[in-house]
Amino acid sequence: MAEIQQKESGGKKKKGAQKKMDIHVDFTPMVDMNMLLISFFMLCTTMIKSQTLNITLPSNDKNLEQKDLSKAAESEAVTLILSSDYDDKGTVTDNTIYYFFGKPFMEDADGDGLLDTPEDPSLGVLHAEKFVGDAGGVQQGIRSILHKRNEVVLEKIDSLKKEWRRPGSEMSDAEFEAKAKAIRNDSTISRPVVVIKATPEASWESIISTLDEMQINQITRYQINTINDVDSTLILDYIKKQQSQR
Amino acid sequence: MGKVKMKRKSTRIDMTAMSDVTVLLLTFFMLTSTFLQKEPATVVTPSSVSEIKVPMTNVSTILVSPEGNVFVGVTGEADMTIADGKWATDSIRRTIFVNAINNYERLTNKTIPMSAFEKQQATEQFAKMNMFGVPFERIPEFFRLKSEDQENWLAGKGLGKGALVNVKPSDVGIPFTDIRYQDEEGNVNTTNEFQIWMRAIYNSGNDNLQNAMRKGEGIAVKADHSTRYDVVHSVLDNLQTIKYNRFTVMTALKTNED
Repeated sequence: MAEIQQKESGGKKKKGAQKKMDIHVDFTPMVDMNMLLISFFMLCTTMIKSQTLNITLPSNDKNLEQKDLSKAAESEAVTLILSSDYDDKGTVTDNTIYYFFGKPFMEDADGDGLLDTPEDPSLGVLHAEKFVGDAGGVQQGIRSILHKRNEVVLEKIDSLKKEWRRPGSEMSDAEFEAKAKAIRNDSTISRPVVVIKATPEASWESIISTLDEMQINQITRYQINTINDVDSTLILDYIKKQQSQR
Repeated sequence: MGKVKMKRKSTRIDMTAMSDVTVLLLTFFMLTSTFLQKEPATVVTPSSVSEIKVPMTNVSTILVSPEGNVFVGVTGEADMTIADGKWATDSIRRTIFVNAINNYERLTNKTIPMSAFEKQQATEQFAKMNMFGVPFERIPEFFRLKSEDQENWLAGKGLGKGALVNVKPSDVGIPFTDIRYQDEEGNVNTTNEFQIWMRAIYNSGNDNLQNAMRKGEGIAVKADHSTRYDVVHSVLDNLQTIKYNRFTVMTALKTNED
């Protein structure tokens, strides 16, 4: 470990001169031990703390119905129905997101077992989309649909952001946040009301992704609801139509 | 004939600098680390754009395993500044355990067969557990086991050799079966074991945890990304029923690109 070497200084030794000592301490075991400790700490730590997402659900009290949401204009209502596919091992293979605007159109006048297309096909007809995100700065999949529904708010927030990021701008972060919040909650703009419904087999991942889309598209009015028989009829009808087209 | 003597060179390397570096690294890791909490099930949380960090203190975690088992736990001290340790994690957990058992016995008119000594031992063990999820009826058997066997039970694996307890799949996780009881006014109400646990956590007697739970920061639901919604829904629905309708959901960070 530590050793003291005495240098041979030949025969010319002066009387009374101090012997020169060379002290070597071998640090190898110390380094070994440190490396072990480092590897232990590296393996046992979580460097990234997990994130959280705040959720507020309505109370389960039956006499407290959500009146303002049911009052929302038909043109503003968006219903999203989530569904997922799994492989044999139980891992998610695909998340599908069905959506319709306004009230569902449930008439079958010609009696062919399939629902008819209403006069205004933009309302009440079920469509399907996927979570795709962005491609080259352009919204894809369900994001583009929601983006279009909330276009006015998003445009206003975009221009506010430009103003805030402009060099020499005097807007503080808190001011920007406050103004953006005012835009998001501005009741004079037509903003969508989103009802998120999940089928029992929808994956947790798809629900979180949908809540994410709400945040990305600055939608403030949304609720998580349970699926009913009208929704399942719509989905079954959609699948039937897809199959008959093939 | 004189031999040519090779001069021996020392192969010794000076390790001082190396040691300096390793000590620095070690200090860095020691200061930045938060230890991985042991959990009965491995859960991969879905990713989200939300950037709110999980609080270190005052959180009750509800873990939903991919198989659909539900576990509850309390992490972090309620208030570190209280010096006598009254609100330290283990003392909170002791209160929760005793409260939950008392409430269960009161509501069901059943007694969990445990002697006072056993109960005390179980409380001490519970205080050290990060996550817990066993039906009330099986608690005495659970705490008689060795800690490895307890871990195996929670993870849904078979117990070790020589264990005489039979663990059914229904004994893993907190059950959601209805418990009917009569309140003071004689009305019949229903509750379940999960609600009893959540109420016990809420009423564990420390204001900071209670405030955090009321604001929604104190309840974190952690579920696997491929867990079906009906499993998570039973948790969310029960939270709504007991009016904890504000809570947080644990997610991983998603980059903006995807």
